[in-house]
Amino acid sequence: MSDLRSSIERAAPRRKAWPWAAGAVAVLLLAGGGFAITRGGGSVGAAAGGGAPVRGGTLQFALIDYQRSPDPQWGTNYAESLIGNNITDKLTWQDPKTGEITPWLAQSWEYNKELTDFTFHLRKDVTFSDGSPFNAEVVKANFDQYVRGDQKLGINPNGAALLSGYIETRTPDAYTAVVRFKKPLASFLQASSFTANAQPGFLSLSTLRLSAKERNDPRKVIGTGPFVYDSWEPQVKTVLVQRKGYTWSPPALKHQGAAYLDKVVFNTIPEASVRTGSLASGAIDATLDVGTTDEKSLADQGFTIIHRAVSGTAILFNFNSQLFPTNDIAVRKAIQLGWDREAIKKTVLTDSYSIATSILEPSVSGYADYSGSVLKYDPEKAKQLLQEAGWSEGPDGIRVKDGKKLVVKLLGISNLVVNKPAYESIQQDLKKIGIDLQLTVVPIPDYTANLAKAKTDWNVTASNRSRNDPAVLNLQYSPLLGNVTYLAKESTGVDVDEVTQTVGKLDQTLDPAARKEYAKAAQDLLIDKYALVNPVYNPSQVIAHANYVHGIVFDAQSRNHFVDAWKSNGK
Amino acid sequence: MEEQREVTRYLALKVGRALFVVWAAFTLTFVLLFVLPANPADLLFDPAEINSIPPEVREQVAESYGFDKPVFLQYFNRLGHALTGDFGNSVQSGRAVTETILDALPSTLVLASGALVLALLIAFVIALVTTSTRRPWVRNLVEALPSGAVSVPVFLSGILMLQIFSFRLGWFPAFGDSGARSVVLPLITLAVPVSGPIAQLLVRSFATEFRSGYVTTSYAKGATRNGIIIRDVFRNASLPALTIAGITFGNLIAGSVITETVFARKGIGRLTQAAINTLDVPLVQGIVVLVAASFALINLIVDLIYPLLDPRLRATLAVA
Repeated sequence: MSDLRSSIERAAPRRKAWPWAAGAVAVLLLAGGGFAITRGGGSVGAAAGGGAPVRGGTLQFALIDYQRSPDPQWGTNYAESLIGNNITDKLTWQDPKTGEITPWLAQSWEYNKELTDFTFHLRKDVTFSDGSPFNAEVVKANFDQYVRGDQKLGINPNGAALLSGYIETRTPDAYTAVVRFKKPLASFLQASSFTANAQPGFLSLSTLRLSAKERNDPRKVIGTGPFVYDSWEPQVKTVLVQRKGYTWSPPALKHQGAAYLDKVVFNTIPEASVRTGSLASGAIDATLDVGTTDEKSLADQGFTIIHRAVSGTAILFNFNSQLFPTNDIAVRKAIQLGWDREAIKKTVLTDSYSIATSILEPSVSGYADYSGSVLKYDPEKAKQLLQEAGWSEGPDGIRVKDGKKLVVKLLGISNLVVNKPAYESIQQDLKKIGIDLQLTVVPIPDYTANLAKAKTDWNVTASNRSRNDPAVLNLQYSPLLGNVTYLAKESTGVDVDEVTQTVGKLDQTLDPAARKEYAKAAQDLLIDKYALVNPVYNPSQVIAHANYVHGIVFDAQSRNHFVDAWKSNGK
Repeated sequence: MEEQREVTRYLALKVGRALFVVWAAFTLTFVLLFVLPANPADLLFDPAEINSIPPEVREQVAESYGFDKPVFLQYFNRLGHALTGDFGNSVQSGRAVTETILDALPSTLVLASGALVLALLIAFVIALVTTSTRRPWVRNLVEALPSGAVSVPVFLSGILMLQIFSFRLGWFPAFGDSGARSVVLPLITLAVPVSGPIAQLLVRSFATEFRSGYVTTSYAKGATRNGIIIRDVFRNASLPALTIAGITFGNLIAGSVITETVFARKGIGRLTQAAINTLDVPLVQGIVVLVAASFALINLIVDLIYPLLDPRLRATLAVA
């Protein structure tokens, strides 16, 4: 506790002078009736409690992974996306509460009826930390390299998946950028705000000219964000310092001016008990990657737990619609009905996580709730469905049809600690109704390797996709795109064209009402009519922080921004 | 003249063997990593996204790392570059493999060499105490220490020390790579298990040496017990410890993976773990070759200095 105590003690004398000044200011403001003019007072941070934000100080933040490359467009892990979000800005900002796309570096935008051309009108006051201007030319250069990569420089086509079908960016004038696609891409608007891995954060023209190797010098990686690189020590830490003169945080954040903090240190601490121990002893102020077993004990010690579910899809069992026995809709429906959601909620999940009630996580617009209808625990009905479909109970309790056992092979990812125990709970429940769910839950590289044979080898692939837009259903389930349920002519009882068209509509309109309707239709089809997916739970990002820390923002992709963060001790 | 030719032959044989080991490590990792079903370049993408990445994009990425070429071409290409110290670029970061390794190496060298010195110190103290004490209970107690040291998992001892000396007492930083103070706990954590096998060997060879004829002779000549230990036994008993240098090195490398993870230190151990976890093929290969080369080098040095330390071996060499 010594570090924490000494820092608070050292802060004490300075704070003594404040009550008088603060009191006087408050009286003046009240007398003038001028609530609105409190500087930064209306910000999210202040609303989160703790009074008026204090400027200055260093936030010592911990997380499990480290930044492999300072280039935010390259980023393939969480640490990289988090740091990228604080050194770069995006065209738009997605409101984490409503999912609405709001202005950021683009003040306004319009699009053609076909949703192939998106015109962005840019802010004119934005500069990079090297002083160069942010303009349409910069947008074009960034998107071109982001989508196509540059083999000479060793830069990958990092954005090829996000901006699929990108043709070009036109620059009719210095502050207007027209981004054009081959086919309708309604989800591009959300993509323009994307803050997760391999994000479209804008880099200066000088940075784009650097090779992948040269971008390992963090000071040469120049963004427009509220922080700039101070240092990068691979495997250990990344230090960001405040960008002076930053005045363009997303209007929806209601933050004015530069970041409150002088410095943010992203410390990599791989071991969970060392992260919690460091927080408890005051060596760090906040930590991400709080384990489910640590949440309660940290809360009991007086730390604040904040969390946000990962927007996009829940952790799902995607059924292989071609492969025996998941090519039988009765089997798929029986699995949906055959496991006890309450048991997982009680034994595996904490309050920060929730049981999935649809393919979409509830914060995604167009989400519909299926917990009362299809996605509920009803083992009797499940048994009945199997019996009717000709699956009779075998000698060992596992059902049999035409001499073949009801064995369902699942391929999953072990990186989220909750996955395995949750799947094991489902496995036990399914055994009771005569389904032998065989689990292979492995690290990501093994998962990716096995995915190559998923069509012929695996009945279920279990994963989630982090994308806060209902068109994620098109990306994942369209037979023309992700096709994670391997729909084809061989998929008996499924009208493949119906699925293609229903999910496809989501990328053909940006009208909120229509999208809601299409999203509902798509979920009805995928969850209910064809039972192609069994949603399991909604994963969360969980942070524990000391009580003197305020204003850490979770954005619509559940990534963190520190522009509005501050420490009441100002240290 | 004859003797000199024999020595040259001995040297050539040993150096040749070391080079073979390094080449075999390179080839084996190449085969292992490249027969894997996953395209290493695919691991750059979110696994949930893989299916929706256009094939031409996947090909483009594979091409920029040379994964698209025929396997034999890739092999000779990589071998050629590896000879010049170029192992290509890390798939996960775009950084040169050699640079990535060189960045992490000093930290591991400090940790491993410090731990080795400490481990040797612990081992010699244990061996000395068991040999020189006249109280059986002290001997029994100290003799039990090495097996205890081997069986304590690095993970557990590291966490325990952090709990006490860092979180509770605040004497040492809990994570990171900042200055001498941050290396103390990792050093002890790594040294303890490494000291075990060395101590066991020393205790045994000290005991054997003590029963040797020359000790009796020395006694007869009027030498003191401590004098004998320091002048004769110490030197002779140290020789066997040299033979397990390879094992010791292995223990240091294995221990450093966990030590570096627990203490959030920069280093080769953690780099290895991260490279394997993300199947960063060029990086894994670079590290394996580095470790194999170090192993070969250490064994080579041992082979070369052994004859210098032990006259009997020199004699055999000359006769053979």
